[in-house]
Amino acid sequence: MAEPMQVPIQYNEAVVRKFVIAGVFWAVVAFLVGVYIAAELAWPEANLGFSFVNFGRLRPVHTSGAIFAFGGSILLGTSFYVVQRTCRARLFGGEALADFVFWGYQFFIVMAALSYVMGYSQGQEYAEPEWHLDLWLTVVWVIYAVIFVGTLLKREEPHIYVANWFYLAFILTIAVLHLVNNAAIPISMYSAKSYSVYSGVQSALIQWWYGHNAVGFFLTAGFLGMMYYFIPKQADRPIYSYRLSVVHFWSLVFMYIWAGPHHLHYTSLPDWTQTLGMVFSLMLWMPSWGGMINGLMTLSGAWDKLRTNPALRFSVTAVGFYGMSTFEGPVLSIRDVNALAHYTDWVVGHVHSGTLGWNAFISFGAIYYLVPALWKRSGLYSTRLVAWHYWISTLGIVLYISSMWVAGIMQGLMWRAYDAFGFLQYSFAESVNAVHPYYVIRWMGGVMFFVGALIMVYNLVMTVRSPSTNLSASDAGQFGPAGAVVAGE
Amino acid sequence: MEDDISGIIVGIMVAVLGLVGLVMASGAYDSEIFIFGLSVAGFAVLFDIGLIRRHHDRRALARHRGGKHG
Amino acid sequence: MFRHEWIEKNAILLLVLTLLTVAIGGIVEIIPLFTIETTVEHVVGMRPYTPLELMGRGIYIREGCYLCHSQQIRALKDEVERYGHFSLAAESMYDHPFQWGSKRIGPDLARVGGKYSSDWHYAHLTNPQELVPESLMPKYRFMATTPLDFDHVAEHLRTNRFVGVPYSDEQIAHAKEDLLTQADPTADAEALMKRYPKAVVVPGSTKGPTEMDALVAYLQMLGTLVDFANTSAEKLQQ
Repeated sequence: MAEPMQVPIQYNEAVVRKFVIAGVFWAVVAFLVGVYIAAELAWPEANLGFSFVNFGRLRPVHTSGAIFAFGGSILLGTSFYVVQRTCRARLFGGEALADFVFWGYQFFIVMAALSYVMGYSQGQEYAEPEWHLDLWLTVVWVIYAVIFVGTLLKREEPHIYVANWFYLAFILTIAVLHLVNNAAIPISMYSAKSYSVYSGVQSALIQWWYGHNAVGFFLTAGFLGMMYYFIPKQADRPIYSYRLSVVHFWSLVFMYIWAGPHHLHYTSLPDWTQTLGMVFSLMLWMPSWGGMINGLMTLSGAWDKLRTNPALRFSVTAVGFYGMSTFEGPVLSIRDVNALAHYTDWVVGHVHSGTLGWNAFISFGAIYYLVPALWKRSGLYSTRLVAWHYWISTLGIVLYISSMWVAGIMQGLMWRAYDAFGFLQYSFAESVNAVHPYYVIRWMGGVMFFVGALIMVYNLVMTVRSPSTNLSASDAGQFGPAGAVVAGE
Repeated sequence: MEDDISGIIVGIMVAVLGLVGLVMASGAYDSEIFIFGLSVAGFAVLFDIGLIRRHHDRRALARHRGGKHG
Repeated sequence: MFRHEWIEKNAILLLVLTLLTVAIGGIVEIIPLFTIETTVEHVVGMRPYTPLELMGRGIYIREGCYLCHSQQIRALKDEVERYGHFSLAAESMYDHPFQWGSKRIGPDLARVGGKYSSDWHYAHLTNPQELVPESLMPKYRFMATTPLDFDHVAEHLRTNRFVGVPYSDEQIAHAKEDLLTQADPTADAEALMKRYPKAVVVPGSTKGPTEMDALVAYLQMLGTLVDFANTSAEKLQQ
């Protein structure tokens, strides 16, 4: 049923506003916890001998906070914003369904963090929540999928825009990964403790099929959806190449799945599986850089906007870090490189170049775009503060990853070093001692990244509340009727 | 209209989840299930009250503006 | 002539094709690990965890020990020299889920069983820096004063059996008894050792088993079960 073109579509922006606020809040929390656990690694007295704040219990609070609370809130919020505007349709399912996804997701986040601190965990990275929380998340996720797909089905715009292919792949694949990897039997419906239906080597591969694709689909496909919408919007340019979008999408979602075994090189996972994982991880470099090229070349003819639009700087730098991480990843997947790097801090550095440089930065770019738009402000309170945020955070990232490269390679070399008599040269404890200065530098990098986020929060609060950003009569029309057409493919 | 139907379906679903939470909390082996169960029940109460309140606020606003908009 | 446009104009087609595409890699890599019989090597010596060890493993998991300690020795020369024989898939076959770890902030623990005395473990868990000054490990003193909650230990064994660990009826029936025996050096451990060869009895305390007792019992058997003298290279081929 086509809506008459004169009637502007009332998009559900309330739920997007909620997710943006939540995302910014969880970013601050996640970064703060990260800074704290980095301090625990530099100065173990910070563990305080107290069970609730020890490293082992807080680390999942940080990883879940960063990936699912911060990343997830931004993904869900932007997906709802983008799907409505690119489909020219209000969110399917009504207000209550969307509100349940928001509040249900926040409930999951809070309950999960509380459970880790109280000492409940499934013992699988990025899948720590126990069975009861997994079930709750399943309900929320199914409803999220229903809303997203339902909105696609009721669209006015005949073509589904590329950003939505990526969001859809993210939603579907995460559902499959979640259900398969978390299959577990609780000892009783009255107990939080459960046992995975998988064990040993099968459990290992299923966990890293899940873990790597949490990266591939949560942290990559979903955020690529963001890139494909917000960069063209901010640059006021169409995406560089339609054909590249098509190739990028299908090759990425096909290849990523196979990469899991590169987390298990030289372990008791069979050789054939390790080789498959390595080969696909190497091939994955191509679609990843295809996406990077598509994003960066969209700026073609508009590079000067980087001087005047600091928020765009975040988005574009994000794509640069994406390229860096998706080169480093395949390199780390090569068996011989992995022999040195596995179990070391090089991997931690790699993770954070991706999460801080790509995920956080593209999120910041989207957030700086969205807040004035959603709260109907004339613009950001201060573009200078955005620049400060940008430079402090970038410096923080540089400190983080370079300290971790040095620490990681040092560990790898020390563990395998032999002395003149043919004995292992270093005790494990000596390698721990050697990386201490780099753990301090890493902590400093994290502090800088956290400070950058605080600057962002101040800027955003002022954007919403300051009279200086009130819409004047002259720019009241800038956001157009709600059904304004978006940047083309 | 769509919002009303959505509200009823979600409201019932959340209420059921809340009851499940109470059952789990009632027999909890550990503090995690106890807290989870009660929290789900609390979530259900607050969420459903919110739905009902918004429904009535909208009705009142529509009546105030003269004539209900289905 | 195929046009991608057809997919872009049909949400259901896009959904189905995406799902099919992402399913392939997982199916090809994961399913054979269940069907190829030699994936888990045929070795002698593996047995399910004792009730006390299982509770200890639960504590290991909840404290996030796997975040700093790996339990998987790779087939690399320096690693084998530092930690012992490289890990076999069979050695974690009863671990639901696996605990191979992915980071070494502390050393690998795959074969830590028997390397240190139980007293060393108690002291180390209580205050790691006293024994290893460079250590970054948190202090777990609270475990020594927290009584182990093992009311439902039989249900833990039963659930493990449901997911494939071969606990016998006898083992499940004696679960609580075996747990108490393993934390009591004065008790007769004959029946326990018959049901669970190579179980290590830990000092325990007068007030009953503590969380630290369980964790040490678990640590003390890691990597000790498989008889490597009795296995050949062919048997280890996956």
